[in-house]
Amino acid sequence: MNKILVGLICGLILGALDGATAWAYPETHSVIGGILMGSSIKGMLVGLLSGWFARRVQSTKWGIVLGAALGLLFAFLVALMQHEHYLEIMLPGFITGAIIGFLTQRMGSPVPERVRR
Amino acid sequence: MGGSHGQFPSTQLSLLEAASSGAGLPNEALERVSALYWKPVYRFIRVKFRKNNEDAKDLTQSFFAAASERDFFARFDPAKASFRTYLRMAVERFAASQHAAQNRQKRGGGVEFEPLDEQRAATAESPEQVFEREWQRQLFALALDDLRAHCEASGKLVQFEIFEAYDLATGDRPSYADLAARHGVAETSVTNYLAWARRMLRQFVTERLRGVTAGERDLRDETRRLWK
Amino acid sequence: MEVNDALLDHLRRVAALPDLAGTRYELEAEIGRGGMGVVYAARDRELNRRVALKVLDSTLAGEAQLIARLEHPAIVPIYETGTLPDGRAFYAMKLVAGARLDHYLTAAPSLGERLRVIRRAGEALAFAHTRGVIHRDLKPQNVMVGEFGEVYVMDWGVEAVAGTPAFRAPEARLDRRSDIYALGALLQFMLPSPAPPALRAIAAKAMRADPDARYADVPALLADLERFQEGLTVEAWAEPLGHRLRRFASRNAVLLWLLAAYAGAKFFLFFLRNL
Repeated sequence: MNKILVGLICGLILGALDGATAWAYPETHSVIGGILMGSSIKGMLVGLLSGWFARRVQSTKWGIVLGAALGLLFAFLVALMQHEHYLEIMLPGFITGAIIGFLTQRMGSPVPERVRR
Repeated sequence: MGGSHGQFPSTQLSLLEAASSGAGLPNEALERVSALYWKPVYRFIRVKFRKNNEDAKDLTQSFFAAASERDFFARFDPAKASFRTYLRMAVERFAASQHAAQNRQKRGGGVEFEPLDEQRAATAESPEQVFEREWQRQLFALALDDLRAHCEASGKLVQFEIFEAYDLATGDRPSYADLAARHGVAETSVTNYLAWARRMLRQFVTERLRGVTAGERDLRDETRRLWK
Repeated sequence: MEVNDALLDHLRRVAALPDLAGTRYELEAEIGRGGMGVVYAARDRELNRRVALKVLDSTLAGEAQLIARLEHPAIVPIYETGTLPDGRAFYAMKLVAGARLDHYLTAAPSLGERLRVIRRAGEALAFAHTRGVIHRDLKPQNVMVGEFGEVYVMDWGVEAVAGTPAFRAPEARLDRRSDIYALGALLQFMLPSPAPPALRAIAAKAMRADPDARYADVPALLADLERFQEGLTVEAWAEPLGHRLRRFASRNAVLLWLLAAYAGAKFFLFFLRNL
């Protein structure tokens, strides 16, 4: 399984799980569906980009850093759309991104670069 | 107590081969065994059973007389031990039974104690070690006799003299140059002669050993033990 | 002629020296006794290099021919086999400058280094097995570590001659599995005093009295060693749960920390909310 695919799957699962934790806040119950979808898409984007990065650079440290940064960025954008709950969205998103970045570095096989002429 | 001299190391029959005729050992084989083992048995008896010179000689003589019976060699099983060990144990049994017989005669059994050979007591060697050491000593002594006889018979006197002067020297060894000058040969010849003589000695030792071992395995084991 | 003790010893020594006339070698010194012969240092006049000459007691040269066919970095290369003028077989091989395993240990190497030596020796053994050669007398005296850390296994194919019973398998007929026993004994020999239980278990499995209960082949033993070094589960050892968890935690430390951070953040936010 190549790393991009790993990233997509991990991002989907972890993003969904992260979104699901919103259930702890009762006011989100009505819109939990949208939250789940949004988190999943957020996770998949982070996973896709992290996976692509992992194919080129083999470094657990930088994978985590990039994943965390991407997670933070997308979480910020989502929070921006809500105009609120910045901390509650961005902090978990940051860590989730880090986990996604770590997993794309550790799992999957990098497809070798095509030789450039 | 010499054995047959003057022969190039003819391949001696091993004990097993000699005994296979079934009528006991031929005299020649017996002679070989006693030539090698007489002194070791004698010393062993002296140390282990603390006999004086006369008694030890008597006992040794009677042991070899008894051993020349057909049974003794037939009962030897090479799988269990070397012939050397077998013979030593036979000596122990023989001496112990003689000892017991003597005691019975003496009513009350006061055994004469003669002072131990002092040299042996000082080094605290076990009787078994004494036996093996004497056996090695006698083996080489006989092989040296064989070598001397061979050199005399084949006219290689210079070789033997050089060997004797160097390897058999008791004090300081002369240098190769000295030997070369003394005998009017080149130094390289000295090296070659010594190598030749040592090789011949080794062969004579092996042949003597072959005559008192039962087959290749025993010979190999004893050889390895000897050169350790 | 009277042969005193000193003379006897001298004669025993010189009559045993190999006569190298007619060969290209020049005798230098005796360097050891092993297996079925004595090893000397000698100089190859033609190639002008020092070699080790092993002179066999008997005239059997089969061993050398077998070994000469084995080409492996951990098996001492044999240069030539031949017969001395006195009929003894000999072979010339690489003169290894290094320490035998028992001396190597006095330098107190790390566990990783010890295991590396075992692995190199095991690889040589595995290689030989695929070529149908069994060592039969593997022990610390037959393994040498060179000055650059290269490992050599020597004295192949010789049945253990009443030497070190500790390394000899109990069964009567020696085969591959006896070599596995010896490798386990070697591992045990190399282990430091408080030894990891997993390694002790590996050695114990290799040294079971029943040959069928040991590792099936040398690569299986080496694989278990490798698993140990990577923190994975070792087949030979039934690990208590606590150990297993700790090992799992140390292998997956990063992931566990990240998950802990996530959980921590969530709880932190929750309490923050409810203040």
